[in-house]
Amino acid sequence: MSPAPLIRSIVPVFLIVAMALPVLAADPMDEIKQTTDKMLSIVTNPAFKTPSQTEEREKLIRQAVDERFDWDEMARRSLAIHWAKRTVEERKEFVRLFADLVERTYMKKVEDYSGEKVLYEGETKEGDYASVRVKIVTKRGEDIPVEYRLKKEKEDWFVYDVSIEGVSLVNNYRTQFNSILSQSSYENLVKRLREKVELK
Amino acid sequence: MKMFNEHGIRGRAMKKFDLELAVGLFIIAGIVCLGYLSIKLGKLEIVGERGYEINGVFSNVGGLKAGAGVEIAGVTVGRVKTITLKNYQAYVVLSFPKGLKIQEDAIASIKTRGLIGEKYVDITPGGSEKDIEPGGRIRETQPAIDIEELISKFVFGKI
Repeated sequence: MSPAPLIRSIVPVFLIVAMALPVLAADPMDEIKQTTDKMLSIVTNPAFKTPSQTEEREKLIRQAVDERFDWDEMARRSLAIHWAKRTVEERKEFVRLFADLVERTYMKKVEDYSGEKVLYEGETKEGDYASVRVKIVTKRGEDIPVEYRLKKEKEDWFVYDVSIEGVSLVNNYRTQFNSILSQSSYENLVKRLREKVELK
Repeated sequence: MKMFNEHGIRGRAMKKFDLELAVGLFIIAGIVCLGYLSIKLGKLEIVGERGYEINGVFSNVGGLKAGAGVEIAGVTVGRVKTITLKNYQAYVVLSFPKGLKIQEDAIASIKTRGLIGEKYVDITPGGSEKDIEPGGRIRETQPAIDIEELISKFVFGKI
């Protein structure tokens, strides 16, 4: 094949892909779908099933989650009224600890995946905010409603809260952090978070 | 004779008028008291209370009633003004006293007092510098949790 027809056939394909990309990127449901599919492909990949590969698998799952989750926003919302009192360094450290804590808590759930179906129920968009409703159907036929809340930043959607069975992750941590902070100090909260994160 | 009669009738009419006035005043006072009581007990607002309103959309309010309390840290600060159905979702209007700021990232969740108690709206204050304007929308809402369903999932969930 001479190069001219090849280019002629590639250019339209490339154009279509280039046109489709921004449209895809602007749809919160597709973004959630992408991340979920990515995670499921890692979890179900038999190459990662061996114990020696566990660490590598965890790293890949974390990467997939980090791409879609806005840890800054999530940590800020969880610390709520106490966020304003913290210095820039404290905030940075807190975001890291918080992301670690959440990932550690849910890693086990993700690794226990055994063929549950994920159904995408719908999305609502309102300006820079959106929510995506997902239903996870277990093998016994029970369904678990999950709702992702997303915020648009630079034409891309990022998750800042997840509700499972109507219980919001941010609200759960917000109440817990608030009760710890009203009883003791911020230092104590960080100490507790660190202990929890280091505890494997 | 005629004069006396006329005088007597007039006198009796005066007395009757006094009695009717007293009874009338008593009844009016009674009605006012009754009105006051029913407004107080029914927690109604006739004269627009000084405050503002915020609305929120919930996927399920689980039988929340208009007039239910809105709480922050267990303190009743406002009330549920109206609940209507919009697009098959519950559209709830909450009223707050003037001066109480609700941050933009505050979360409103519908809770039950105890296991089978009344429903109320709980607000967990957020940390955003922006506040919700009067008439604005509280974006973060959590529906009522069906405890019975959750218990059954927990009880029958694991085999």
